[in-house]
Amino acid sequence: MDPITLALQQTVNGLTLGSLYALIALGLALIFGVLEMLHFAHGEVYMIGGFAAVGVAAVLLGVHGVTIPPILVVGVMFIAAMAIASVLGVAIERVAYRPVRNLDRLAPIITGIGVSYILRNIAQMKSGGLWVPVQASALVPQTNLHIGSISAPFMAVVLIVVSLFLMLALDAFVFRTTLGAAIRATAQDREAAGFIGINIEQVIFVTFILASALAGASGALFALRYGGLDSQIGFLILIKGFAATVIGGIGNLRGAMFGGLLLGVLESLVGGFISTAFQDTFVFVLVIVVLLIRPWGLFGERPLERA
Amino acid sequence: MPNRFVRLPAFVAIGLLVGAACGGSSSGASEKPTKVEIAVEAPWAKFAGDPISGQLYGFQEVIKLANAAGGVHGTPIQGLVWDDNFDPATAATVQAQGLDDPYFLGLIGPSNSVTSLGTMQTLQAHSISFISWFATNPKVTDSGYSVAHRVCSRDDTEAPASARFMVSKGAKRIEVLASRQDQTQGLADALVGWLKTNAPDVVVQRDTVQNGQSDYSTIITKIKAFNPDWIYFSADDNVEVPPLATQLRQAGFTIGKNLNWMGSDGQFDPALITKSQGAWEGAYVPNVFPDPTSVPSAQSMVAHMKADYGADFIDTKAGPWWGAVAEATQILIQAIQRSPVKNGKISREDVLYHLNHDTFDTLFGPVKFDSKGDVAGAGVYMFQAKGSVMSYLGPISLS
Repeated sequence: MDPITLALQQTVNGLTLGSLYALIALGLALIFGVLEMLHFAHGEVYMIGGFAAVGVAAVLLGVHGVTIPPILVVGVMFIAAMAIASVLGVAIERVAYRPVRNLDRLAPIITGIGVSYILRNIAQMKSGGLWVPVQASALVPQTNLHIGSISAPFMAVVLIVVSLFLMLALDAFVFRTTLGAAIRATAQDREAAGFIGINIEQVIFVTFILASALAGASGALFALRYGGLDSQIGFLILIKGFAATVIGGIGNLRGAMFGGLLLGVLESLVGGFISTAFQDTFVFVLVIVVLLIRPWGLFGERPLERA
Repeated sequence: MPNRFVRLPAFVAIGLLVGAACGGSSSGASEKPTKVEIAVEAPWAKFAGDPISGQLYGFQEVIKLANAAGGVHGTPIQGLVWDDNFDPATAATVQAQGLDDPYFLGLIGPSNSVTSLGTMQTLQAHSISFISWFATNPKVTDSGYSVAHRVCSRDDTEAPASARFMVSKGAKRIEVLASRQDQTQGLADALVGWLKTNAPDVVVQRDTVQNGQSDYSTIITKIKAFNPDWIYFSADDNVEVPPLATQLRQAGFTIGKNLNWMGSDGQFDPALITKSQGAWEGAYVPNVFPDPTSVPSAQSMVAHMKADYGADFIDTKAGPWWGAVAEATQILIQAIQRSPVKNGKISREDVLYHLNHDTFDTLFGPVKFDSKGDVAGAGVYMFQAKGSVMSYLGPISLS
C-alpha cells in the first residue's frame, strides 16, 4: 500500500471514529452551552443507550418462529436507545444536577462523576465486565464498500452518514427553530433569557433530551459497527468528547462537530504513520497546543475584553 | 537430706505434667486450634462467569474434602471469599479483615499480578503467606518477599513458549499487539526478545492497543500492509478480543486459514468464540497451568468436582483455572496442618516456614517452591479455541 493510499485509508478509518467523537462532543457542548457545566455522566448515557439497543436486538432476534425484517429491528434498536438514553439523561439532570445547580461550580462535577461511577459499576456487574455481543451479521450487511483501493465496512459508512445526518439535524434545530433560539438565548445569558419569558427549565429539559438522544443513537451505532459493547466504552469516549469540545471551542456546536472529526482523523493518521502507542498522547498534546494558541478553541469566539 | 533428693524429682515431674496440660507442648499434634481461617481473593464480580465460578468452587471443594478428613487437628477450616475488583486499593481493604485476626493463616491469591504486587508488602509485614494461581508477572516472586508464592508459571516462561510454538508452526511474519498494561507489554517484550535472539529471520511488526479499544481499523490497515501469517495479541481484559477478531474477519483475515492467532493466557475463555461470532475460532491460547481433566493424578479431584458441580460444567465451562486454585489451597492447608498448635493458635510464621521448606501432595503431583516462591519446573500448556470449548493440545516444550 503506497503512502497516499494508506493516508486516505486511515482518513476514512478516522472519520468513523471521529463521527462518534463528534456526536458525544455535540451533546457535551450543548449542555455546557446551556448550563455551563461539564456533564461527566454523558459517556455512561451513551453506554446505556448502546446496551438498550443490544438488549432490544437480543429480544427481537430471539423470538422463535417470527422473522422480523432486519431494518425494523435496527429501527427499534435506535428508538429504544434514544428513548432510554433521553429518560436517563433527564433523570440525571433532575437527581444529580438540579439540586446543586446554584451551588459551587464544583458540585455538579462531583455529582456527575458520582453518577458516572454508579452507572458504570452497575453495567459492569450486569455484564461481568465482558464484551456483550450483538448479532450484527443478522442485522447489517458485513460487506466492504470500495472506492479504488480504499475500502470501508458497510456499517462504518452507515455510521458516518447517520452521524452527519444527526449533526446537521441538530444544527438545523438549534439554528432554525424557535426552541433552538431559546436554547441559544439561554446559552448566551440564562438570566436575561428568563427575563424575556423563556422557560429556562423547559430549555434545560429539551437540551438534556437532545444531548442524551444523540448519545443513545451513538451507542446503537457503536454496537452495530463493532458487533457489541462493554461497560467501559462510555468512559473512554467521554475523554475524547471533552478533547473534541476543547479543540472546537467549548460550548460551540459546530466546533464540537469539527473537533470530533478532526480528532478521529488525526488519531488514525498518527496510529498509521507514527505509532499506535502514541495516539492518546497525541490527542492531549493537540489539546494543549490549541489551548496555548487559541484558548477559545478553533471555532470559538475570542472573549471580549472589558474596558 | 534424703527427703530433699526425693522431693526434687517429684516437683519436676509434677511441673512437667502441669506444663503439658496447659498447652506447653511444642509438638501440637494432639492440640486443637480454636479456629482456622484462610481466604481466596479474586475479582469475582468483575469477571463473573463460569470460569471464575469454577475457581471459587475449586477452593471450596478442597476445603470441603479437608474438613471431611478432620480439618486441622479436628478444627474445620473456614474459607473466606474476598473480592478485590482487580484493584490494589480494594485488595488492601479486603485483606485488612485478616491482618490482625490471629486465626487467619494464609491467602489463596490475589489472583492477579497487579493486586499481588500492590499488597505484598503489607502481607509480608503481617507474615501472611499467599499463593497466587494466576499472578504471572516475574516481579511477584522476584521482589524478595518470603510470603509470596505462586503455582502458575511466569510471563518470562510463557512468552518464549508462545514464540517457540509459533516458530515451530512455521511463523515468518508476526504482528505483535499488546494492550497498554505492564503485564501485557511485558509479555510482548519477552516474546519479541526471544524471537530476536532465537529466530532472527522472523519479521515482527509491533503495535499497541489502548485498554478497552473497540475500533481496530487503524491497526488492521497496518496489518493488511504488513501481511503477517501470525498475530500475537497480549491482552488481559478480554473485551478487546471479540471486536478485533470480528474486524479482522471483516477485513478478509480468517483465523486458522490465512492468519493464525496466538493469545496470552488471559484469553483462555471459550465464550470469546461466541462473543466474536465465531471469528476467533482456531485461536491458540497458552495457559500457565495444565488442564486438570487431562492430568491422570487429578482425576480423583475432577470426579469430586463433577459430582458437586456437574460434569458438563467441569468439562466445558469451568476451564482449567479451578485446578490451580485447588492445588494452591491443598498446599496452604497442608502447610497449616504441619504447623504446631500453641495455646489454640497456629502461627503464621510456622505456616510460612513449611511453605518455604516442604514438599506438598497436590492433584498435579508433588510440589515444592523454590527459594523465590515459584514452583520449580512450572510449565506452559497450549489450548485451541474449537467449537464451543478450549481444546487442550498439550504442554509446550520449554527447551
